[in-house]
Amino acid sequence: MNIREVIKTINQMQADGVIERYAVGGAVGATFYLEPVATLDVDVFVTFKPEAGSVNISPQGIYDYLTARGGTVQGEYIVISGWPVQFLPPANPLVEEALAQAVDKDVAGTSVRVFTAEHLAAVALQTGHAKDKARLLQFIEAGVLDPARFQTVLTRHGLAAAWKRFEQQFLRDQP
Amino acid sequence: MTFDLARILESKRAFRRQLAARPIAEKLAMLDALREREITLRQPGQSAVTESSGVLHEKPAPYRTGRKGGKKR
Repeated sequence: MNIREVIKTINQMQADGVIERYAVGGAVGATFYLEPVATLDVDVFVTFKPEAGSVNISPQGIYDYLTARGGTVQGEYIVISGWPVQFLPPANPLVEEALAQAVDKDVAGTSVRVFTAEHLAAVALQTGHAKDKARLLQFIEAGVLDPARFQTVLTRHGLAAAWKRFEQQFLRDQP
Repeated sequence: MTFDLARILESKRAFRRQLAARPIAEKLAMLDALREREITLRQPGQSAVTESSGVLHEKPAPYRTGRKGGKKR
């Protein structure tokens, strides 16, 4: 089980032209800014290339590429180096922007594209599950968000009201 | 050792800051170790999904689909 091998595999897949652009999101993406928190899988957001002769986008090319290299498909996941990896298309404008504005990080000589802290926090707010709210609190407590940039992202994607509710619910009595 | 809650909470925050400041390669290695521990601890059907092969993974995140005001997944 080695998440760095997952990153290397995805980089190679990009170099081989299977995907156009990718960025790591979710808990693994958050680990680039916060303390590590246990997670069971890796969310990788990708722009898919349409299959030849088709206008449809499909993860089939990714699955074919990875299974030929030892990956195993498990439902919506493909297991690489012991980690279930989910390849996700950008499903809404916020995630599209997060993918477009993702930043390059270095992992001991290996490059990896990761959502910005502000986009990870905004996606967590938008998704809104308990664990996502906990992650958003972690981002705030760690002080890694650029407040102006975060507010701009929230406003642009219609999340200002959700943020206000979150503030009232969780941050009202913060010291 | 102290029972002063304020000091305890501050020490927890300080420890989390120290963890967050570790090199990313080290933090990713921690994720590997944490996942192995989760697999050991979690019971099937509790906030996770097991496939027939025994691969444990999170319930898929509900990343909202569609344009603003559009149909959501």
